[in-house]
Amino acid sequence: MGRYIIKRLLQGIPLLFFISLILFLLMLNVGDPVATMGGRRVTRRADYERLRRQLGLDQPVYLQYAYWLLGNDWTKIDLDGDGVAETTGTRRGVLRGDLGISLLNRKPVIEVIGERLPNTLILMVASELVIVIGALLVGVFSALRQYSIMDNLITAILFIGYSMPIFFVALISMFIFAVLFKRWGLPYLPTVGMFDPQAGKTTAQVLWHMVLPVLSISIISFAAYSRYIRSTMLEVMGQDYIRTAKSKGLPRSEVVFIHALKNASLPIVTVIGLDLPLLLGGAVVTERIFAWPGMGRLFLDHVDRVDMPVIMGILMLVSLAVVVFQILTDIVYAWLDPRIRYEK
Amino acid sequence: MLRMHKNLYGLLCLVVIASMLLVACGGGGTPTEMPPEPPAAETQPPALETQPPAPPTEKKIATFIYTQEFDYLAPLYTGMWFAWTTWQMNNHWAWEFDENNEPFPRLVTEIPSTTNGGISEDGTVITMHLRDDIKWSDDTPVTADDFIFTWEMAVSPNNIVYTTYPYDNIASIEAPDPQTVVITFSQPFAPWLASLWHGILPAHILRPIYEAEGTIDNADWLRNPTVGCGPFNFVEWESGSFARFVRNENYWGTPAKLDEIFIRFVPDDASQVQALKAGDADIGYWPPYADIPGLEEAGLNIMVEPNGYSEWMFFMVNEEKSHPALLDVNVRKAIAMAIDREGINRDLLLDLTKVPASFWDALPFYNDPPLVNYPYDPEGAKALLDNAGWVDTNGDGVREKDGVDLEIDHATTVKEQRQDAQAVMQQQLAEVGIKLNVQAVDDTLYFASYAENGPAARGEFDIQEWSDGPLFPDPDIYYWLCDQIPTDENPTGENWFYICDPELDSLIQLQSTQVDVVERQKTISQINQLFYDKVYIIGLWQDPDIYVVSSHMKNLKFSGVTMFFNIAEWDMEQ
Repeated sequence: MGRYIIKRLLQGIPLLFFISLILFLLMLNVGDPVATMGGRRVTRRADYERLRRQLGLDQPVYLQYAYWLLGNDWTKIDLDGDGVAETTGTRRGVLRGDLGISLLNRKPVIEVIGERLPNTLILMVASELVIVIGALLVGVFSALRQYSIMDNLITAILFIGYSMPIFFVALISMFIFAVLFKRWGLPYLPTVGMFDPQAGKTTAQVLWHMVLPVLSISIISFAAYSRYIRSTMLEVMGQDYIRTAKSKGLPRSEVVFIHALKNASLPIVTVIGLDLPLLLGGAVVTERIFAWPGMGRLFLDHVDRVDMPVIMGILMLVSLAVVVFQILTDIVYAWLDPRIRYEK
Repeated sequence: MLRMHKNLYGLLCLVVIASMLLVACGGGGTPTEMPPEPPAAETQPPALETQPPAPPTEKKIATFIYTQEFDYLAPLYTGMWFAWTTWQMNNHWAWEFDENNEPFPRLVTEIPSTTNGGISEDGTVITMHLRDDIKWSDDTPVTADDFIFTWEMAVSPNNIVYTTYPYDNIASIEAPDPQTVVITFSQPFAPWLASLWHGILPAHILRPIYEAEGTIDNADWLRNPTVGCGPFNFVEWESGSFARFVRNENYWGTPAKLDEIFIRFVPDDASQVQALKAGDADIGYWPPYADIPGLEEAGLNIMVEPNGYSEWMFFMVNEEKSHPALLDVNVRKAIAMAIDREGINRDLLLDLTKVPASFWDALPFYNDPPLVNYPYDPEGAKALLDNAGWVDTNGDGVREKDGVDLEIDHATTVKEQRQDAQAVMQQQLAEVGIKLNVQAVDDTLYFASYAENGPAARGEFDIQEWSDGPLFPDPDIYYWLCDQIPTDENPTGENWFYICDPELDSLIQLQSTQVDVVERQKTISQINQLFYDKVYIIGLWQDPDIYVVSSHMKNLKFSGVTMFFNIAEWDMEQ
């Protein structure tokens, strides 16, 4: 297993290199970060040329990529525009852990991402827990009571949730549980943010402000997970070994949760394994609507201002996570199904 | 094995129950049920704190919603409206602008002028006298040295500032004494009043950093300006979430009435509206027009402040590029008279804005005597077109002349109110025999540069439309100069109207050198009248700053320039 993991990790290196190259080239077509610098008027020509030089955007593409990857502390650059490269660069490059500097606020990209990642993880892990645990319970219940009234009812509700776009779910839940509940004199949920300024950032406040975002994310994701579990459970429950377990007189709970659910989990692990790395990218729409300061909003905000170092940092982080989580998924496969072996 | 699995499922159940309990205990109801805010140092993410005891009295905390997060909180480093607005809380301009967009002295004793000797005869030297009681929040006096340092940092090639303008027009600055700043320009510089000293840098904090590092780019103060000279002190800024300012107890002016200002970043317009309706914020900005009635029904006040921008139709008046009809001023006048612009404002913009008659509508000083819009007069428009030789001879509903149909292309960017207005204008122009072909283009494509074949920059449409104005609060409109017309040799030219009018050109050049405000006003008035007579542009609606304000906020005034000029006087009922 150890050799397998090392082999997969080594395979990931050229993959990440090609991903970075493609993303970098795509980023060049996103727009011009210096065009307005966030203002309503176009940047003056003199400032435009100065800023492009100072931010290194006047360099050829291959050199920009080389500086991003390898840094520029091994060469001299022209900062004052006199045509003479006299200043030694300060960037160390991605390969040495330097993701660069944000073009917007000159903060290190690692710091920019580090400020948002915990908020995204709080929201997304909570949502994923609610989704997975809820979907397990609902999926198993539906499978064991196939075509019952409850099964049909649950299926209908889940598909209603699944068919609604998340922005609609988010806004309608905000309107009902915050605006209308307040109007009706009921205890109401907060609309936006992570806490109330009068109360401060307490655990209770953050959890309270998470309710609507988690609810919105869960509603649209619940159906897919629970339907996966339901269908795989139905398939497994019809297997010979389940019939054998039942005929040997094992308790029903043991048959369902030990023998059936474990084997039915394999496809679910695949789905979760694909979803988990994307958690790092945040929930773009949900974070925007509920003003949750996570990675999704960070990505949107910086795409809007064409902040290439930050965008590249986020995309490479997610790419790295996908590679790592795929390896972890393979490991979990082996744990769940002893027949799977990666060693020759 | 079985025991292990049972334990595992037991653990899962515990997680579920714990999650539910946490959510259930999360609180609810009104914010007043919440305990007070923990100390600032303990509010950094991701660490979460337990609730401290209940406060004795509730603080006056005004919550603002910003739909964009600022990138810096310091002068020189950003062009973002929200950043400019925000640093007025903890910094000051040398002179600020009131609700009528008129300047008044803030850090100076009086605004320099030729009459008080503040401006030299040749217009190249401006002398400012600073108040002797102004100080930073750490008790350090604000002196001429801070102004000189700000200029030095703006023009230093080592700093990646947003713009070096207007400081790159200054030849030298001297400080004969700590309260006097003498600015010498290399040539008369008319926009000094509008563009100089939009916030200053604290030399006593930043100069040591500059001397040590050769730049202030990495100075913490640029993003955490804990020392300021305004009525509020910056406390903290959590990326993507919020920023806090508390009353500056050491303020040299009248202390602020509010205890705290809490800025929350909410990028989504619809969420902003819901938050305002739910009482989760006291002030919001630029709500969609369609949401304004609902906000007013919820008891919120709408405040409108002209900011120099208005929505304009720009005619292409250029022999090589224009539709031949648009070269005739009477056709342009007929178009102005055929569109019911008051009706558009009334029906589409809820009468919250006015139809601008002048490019300087928000600067009444320069719109003097004030212009009056061409009236909505379809019959008059028809007569003008008839007299100009544009008549419908073949009965197809479209006028023609010399075999050319009066068929005009009009393009703007994708925005609901613009497309609605396009539809109205298309219908109204059709009624007088003008066929308007409307297009809506994504703004990034529409405003792409000449080098990138941007359609607006290339002058591809007969009529273009966007929100524009002078260099507010300065009246300059340099981008109408002939030498600003983009060409392959001059791809960065900003005259996307392709109009080269020698009379207009000379007047624009003249006003840019007139340091004396009165003389300049006369020249701008001439330009104003010329725009009107030649109908180079048609105003559709003012594009003002729109604020949504909770009814318990008091004493609020807004300016189109220094938006929070009276923020120290703001108060709230509890």
